[in-house]
Amino acid sequence: MSRYTLAVVYRHYLVWRSLMWSSLASNVVNPVLFLFAFGFGLGAFVKSIDGMEYLSFIVPGMAAYAAMFAASFETTIGAYSRYAMQRTWDAILATPVSLPELLFGEVLFAALKGLFSACWVVIVGAAWGGVESLTGALLAIVLVFVASVGFAAYGLLATSMARGYEFFSYFFTFWLTPMFVFSGVFFDVGRFPDAVQWFAWILPMTHLIEVARPLMVGLPIEWDTAVLHIGYGIALTALAFWLALRNMRKRMFD
Amino acid sequence: MTQVTENLASGTVSDPDMTVVLARDLTKRFDDMVAVAGISFIVSRGECVGLLGPNGAGKTTTMRMLMGLSHVSAGTLELFGEPVATLRRDHASRIGLVPQDDNLDPDITVQQNLELYGHYFGVAAHTRAARVPELLEFMQLEERAEARVNELSGGMKRRLVIARSLIADPELVVLDEPTTGLDPQARVLIWKQLLELKRQGRTLLLTTHYMDEAQRLCDRIIIVDAGEILAEGAPQTLIDQYVLGHVFEVPKPLPDTWDHEAFDHEDIGDAVLIYVEQVADFVDRIPAATHYLHRQANLEDVFLRLTGRALREN
Repeated sequence: MSRYTLAVVYRHYLVWRSLMWSSLASNVVNPVLFLFAFGFGLGAFVKSIDGMEYLSFIVPGMAAYAAMFAASFETTIGAYSRYAMQRTWDAILATPVSLPELLFGEVLFAALKGLFSACWVVIVGAAWGGVESLTGALLAIVLVFVASVGFAAYGLLATSMARGYEFFSYFFTFWLTPMFVFSGVFFDVGRFPDAVQWFAWILPMTHLIEVARPLMVGLPIEWDTAVLHIGYGIALTALAFWLALRNMRKRMFD
Repeated sequence: MTQVTENLASGTVSDPDMTVVLARDLTKRFDDMVAVAGISFIVSRGECVGLLGPNGAGKTTTMRMLMGLSHVSAGTLELFGEPVATLRRDHASRIGLVPQDDNLDPDITVQQNLELYGHYFGVAAHTRAARVPELLEFMQLEERAEARVNELSGGMKRRLVIARSLIADPELVVLDEPTTGLDPQARVLIWKQLLELKRQGRTLLLTTHYMDEAQRLCDRIIIVDAGEILAEGAPQTLIDQYVLGHVFEVPKPLPDTWDHEAFDHEDIGDAVLIYVEQVADFVDRIPAATHYLHRQANLEDVFLRLTGRALREN
């Protein structure tokens, strides 16, 4: 990775640090509140699900959701503001930093925010007794980071097509919300009717949760199917980043 | 324009070591419009060149192409002897841009903005540490080093944008309306420091809507409109060529016995402008008791005469 990409990440870090408290509210407090609400509220009725404690079941899902939300938000509302409102991208591109380096820096920082947010969910979940395997949790966290690069890239693709903030309401309604409700955060995807299951498996977060959950709960992993889940996510990530770069290059330079 | 185009056409391009910018039939087309319609010009090392033109004339587009921020549709654009499409990183590291809109980072401090720009340029840490205070002093921002950018006045932001453009010690500084919207004090300081940059041997390319600014700073002026070059030359040469030395404004109705057609003149609606070399050329030939206004011809007269007086609204 080039030092130019790192310079972009460093810029985002500086700004994040100066506005840290509002960021912590949405990326840490928010998912932790969800965790408490479902862990306590629903957990009181649903003691176990598919042989897992409900809290243990929901911690990996909430971690994935927290990462997905943080990364998506950063490369949509955040990146669009830097591109169209504050014109930060123009300022950066007037220097030796190239467009691919800039966009990769956006994605990398967003993925780090996703990771950060997920870590808090796992820490709070572990403190509360909802993480059965610490080794598994560490592995799962690595996967969450890889998946967050993807979540960031999908958001960036939306940004490359957005003509105003209104556009992101489509992104939130038809991308974020479906992942929140259909990707198996709260219950197993297998409980949906077949048609819905098909749809659920298109969503990259379903694949992340499918692998992260048994890891954190300490169940045995079928690595050959896990590789397929991970490979699907990576392929989709590469495609989204390539399309976003292509759109953005056309939009900014032509 | 004529001189440069002739030179380009006959192939007698000036010394490549001295040529910083070379545009030949430079064209930029957007989907439904031509923003730059085949302009040719040269900027030589150490020169300050002003690109003047009404809104929508193609100035900013030309500058964006120069910065590699907008692709060239047709023609040639060379920087330091290389086409802009290649070696973008190398070009970018030798140019400082002062954009029209302040695109500073509002949430971090003045000093952090400068340091960050040093990172983008890959300026070494010890060089950054030395240069940031120098630039703060150069633009008289030392006292506000720790202030967040969104606490600064418009003039201070502008000064910071200029300081920022100098972080990598650029050979060429491109300034898009550097003093628009500033108070006279801030403009005077900026002019002084831009002249200092020129004295240091840097090449400056600037756009402005202030003719006094262009006259004060620029060795050479290029007037563009509708994507084409209308005139080019030293400020005084342009004045001598297009508006002679003096301007007399004679309000209508004109005196019956007086033939304004005999002069180099321009009808501006409710008055006629007369351009003459010597005051006597006019005063001796106007009927006594005619009311008129007199002023020394300046660059603004050249500009308005060439680009017309109709309002530009896009």
